[in-house]
Amino acid sequence: MVNLAACEDTLALFTEGIAGRYLHIKATAEFANNRQLAYHSDRAGQGADALFLPEEIDAPDHHCYRVLVLEQIGLRECGTFSFRMERGLAEISELAARYEVPKGATPRTGDFFLLFSAFSQPSLATDLFNLFEKARVQAHLLRTYPGINRHMQRYHEHLLETAELHYDPLSFGHRSLWGDNEIPPEWQSLETALLQLQGPDQTVYDSVRALCQLYDQVAEAYVFDTLTAYPSPEESVPDWLNREQRIDEWDEKLEELDDQVMMADMIHAEDLEAERGETSEAAIRDAEVDIKMLMDERDTLKRRIDMEKSSVQHALGPDRSAARSYRYDEWDYLQRRYLTHWCRVYEESLLGTDEEDIDGLNNAIRHFQSIVQKQLEQIRPTGLQRISRVQDGDELDLNAIIEARQDIRAGQSPSERFYSRKERMHRDVCAIFLVDLSASTDDPVEPAEPKDWSDYDEDAADNMRDPWYAALTSDEEEPVVERKIIDIQREAMVVMASALDALGDSYGIYGFSGYGKDCVEVFVAKEPQEGFSQRTLQSIAAMKPKRSTRMGPAIRHSTHKLMQSGHAMKVLMVISDGFPQDSDYGPERGNHTYGVEDTAKAIKEAQQKGVETFCITVDRSGQDYLKQMCPDSRYLVIEEMEDLPDQLTKVYAALTGR
Amino acid sequence: MTQAVDFFTADTEPYYLPLADEVEIFRAAYSARLPVLLKGPTGCGKTRFVEHMTWRLYRETANQLDVPLVTVSCHEDLTATDMVGRYLLKGDETVWADGPLTRAVRTGAICYLDEIVEARKDTTVLIHSLTDHRRILPIDKTGELVAAHPEFLLVISYNPGYQSVLKDLKPSTRQRFVSLEFDYPEVELEAKIIAHEAGIDEDIAGRLAVIGERVRNLKQHGFEEGVSTRLLIYTGDLISAGIDPRRAAQVAIVTAISDDRTVQQAVADIVDVILP
Repeated sequence: MVNLAACEDTLALFTEGIAGRYLHIKATAEFANNRQLAYHSDRAGQGADALFLPEEIDAPDHHCYRVLVLEQIGLRECGTFSFRMERGLAEISELAARYEVPKGATPRTGDFFLLFSAFSQPSLATDLFNLFEKARVQAHLLRTYPGINRHMQRYHEHLLETAELHYDPLSFGHRSLWGDNEIPPEWQSLETALLQLQGPDQTVYDSVRALCQLYDQVAEAYVFDTLTAYPSPEESVPDWLNREQRIDEWDEKLEELDDQVMMADMIHAEDLEAERGETSEAAIRDAEVDIKMLMDERDTLKRRIDMEKSSVQHALGPDRSAARSYRYDEWDYLQRRYLTHWCRVYEESLLGTDEEDIDGLNNAIRHFQSIVQKQLEQIRPTGLQRISRVQDGDELDLNAIIEARQDIRAGQSPSERFYSRKERMHRDVCAIFLVDLSASTDDPVEPAEPKDWSDYDEDAADNMRDPWYAALTSDEEEPVVERKIIDIQREAMVVMASALDALGDSYGIYGFSGYGKDCVEVFVAKEPQEGFSQRTLQSIAAMKPKRSTRMGPAIRHSTHKLMQSGHAMKVLMVISDGFPQDSDYGPERGNHTYGVEDTAKAIKEAQQKGVETFCITVDRSGQDYLKQMCPDSRYLVIEEMEDLPDQLTKVYAALTGR
Repeated sequence: MTQAVDFFTADTEPYYLPLADEVEIFRAAYSARLPVLLKGPTGCGKTRFVEHMTWRLYRETANQLDVPLVTVSCHEDLTATDMVGRYLLKGDETVWADGPLTRAVRTGAICYLDEIVEARKDTTVLIHSLTDHRRILPIDKTGELVAAHPEFLLVISYNPGYQSVLKDLKPSTRQRFVSLEFDYPEVELEAKIIAHEAGIDEDIAGRLAVIGERVRNLKQHGFEEGVSTRLLIYTGDLISAGIDPRRAAQVAIVTAISDDRTVQQAVADIVDVILP
């Protein structure tokens, strides 16, 4: 037995390299959001943005996972999902002969559904078609990726040894693909078809042709039991993948139609102007009718595309092709053991748009700048320093030269270190700010603080006397807006960001939320290696309250990223507004001990890896659980929400200034 | 001395397969003495291109130099002094020694500053006066103003991929150059280059080029750049020297591009399925 968990990190990279795009590697058990689809949990499969692999396979070594991955990628490379019924009917006379449009078929009905409805037992036709496609894909893989041959052979030999021997044509077909030469003579025709499909120029239509030719003969070998009916093709994954690809084709067609409508409009307008006298009324009317028809066609197609998109998304789950995903362990304190590869964390970039309101954030930066910088100045490095007596540098060090001369005079060999050079003293700090984006951050801040910034902080009063500030505050009569926790979190983040940018530390800003163990979301507003820019502000402005607070996996993921950054000092600051909670974070929803224990464990893991952690909460009752979760003096409960930016800087300076 | 300088002597033609119109552009820029900036990832052929162009151009001029191309590989400790020159202690006296840039300016060689943004900021000052109409090199330590030889040309390169924002070229510097962008060649062309450089047959060279293409899909995972054409050629060299292709790829590609075990394993897996 080999386990997916043991090799999934490598496998994800392998898949990305070969496929040229990121695909989530998921265990088939994670097919939870697609319950309505028929799915074999012991087989590999794929969705729009993911490959599904069995958590465990009976195989000689883990290389068989690569075989499975390539088989799935091969399906796409070989164009299995680009099958179109229209073209099939035009090219394959055998198909046209047996096909009748099924009842209730609409333009949105999947092409595979239409195809398999042409056979008495659609499910058998599906299986037979899959067998043919497998032969075609396998041959393609051996041509394109010859190195897989030996792994495939070993896996197939293993399958031949272990698989139960069934005496039916489909099993014989599979055995033949696995390299079994002892196919009974009555199924030679099947083997010949399989061999033919392994030629270089075979397409999905050749598989369909073979299906039409051999289906009746194969079907005779089976007795159909209505009780063990196969699921309806409406629920088949390939059909949905096929429909997903069809949307792209429709989109192209829509563009064409758009162009045509525009052209027709233009020509028509010219006609009206230039040839008013020559063209007859009827011709103009005809042209108008044409345009009307074109526009109708376009609108119908557009509606169809929209409907299809939403049904595909409903069937295959939300599109997460922009995200990357990772699995992390979770600590179960009740059983006192780790649940391995328990949570899936999706990491997604927060893309702010131009419409995000960043004026408020800019104001916050301006307001806090002086206070924050005063605190950070204490840890500011001195910049360039001249180092003397080095072996190599841009200037001669006079003192060293004089000494060298003395040494020479005295008959001794002088030191060779008589240069001086400037060197930059730099800090090697990487910090990640992990911001809680749970739904509760949408709550207003209590009690309502004075909205006017001018009387906010005594320390800042000096700056406020500055006439420029005075003008700023008196002119702007801000309407009283209810400020929410998330607003202050965002402000604190931009203030930190601008201050740290001046300091030169690298820092990342992540938000986290999610729902359930298979969907923990980490939103990246800024990666440590990115610079601070307008885009950062927009991304921070795009941080919005989402769902739950599963803190453990988010901390583990941030730790993982910090470890990868390779900086000497690593700091993780968690900013939250309450205890960790999620729908399935522990056996009972109301009991938070499980979540607190897991988070405590995650923090301890981070500490052990050399990451300095610090938790800040704005939940006044936070004292109780923070004491359990965090090491001593590594947490802070903020009484007044508005103090967050100020406190955050203090903590940061204290943590990294040592 | 920390400076990394190498001199190129134009005996035989350096092989270069043009991917677009870069040869014509460079020639035109040279005839107008416009400084050139080459952008592109590591090992995609920037240096080779400069060598090739130097070879072509210096066969056409009367100024027959021993060293027609001076390459300075910049690193973060490289200062203006390293390029211009410095006083050396020689016996009882200090003597001035020209740096590579000054030498090129005096003799009229092409000076190629590789990975310019790596160098310290004071080097850009030198570049500015050399790249506008003045074409002079001020040497503050000796108080000299060296007027550039008419044949002198400055070529710089940088790699926008992995240099951090802090190390970006300033617009005032960037706008003094004719910019040529380089990237890794398409699979077919790269196969041709590998086959030629390493002297291996087209089939295995094609396989190596496919490896390059697929592994480049993985950049940003622990290694900043994909596998370079140079590494693929190294692999080909090892193969033509009789090393087993898998082993050659292991040492020249897999272990060379990343220290991360997971990434290494993934790259090794990709290499494993693509090689026959």
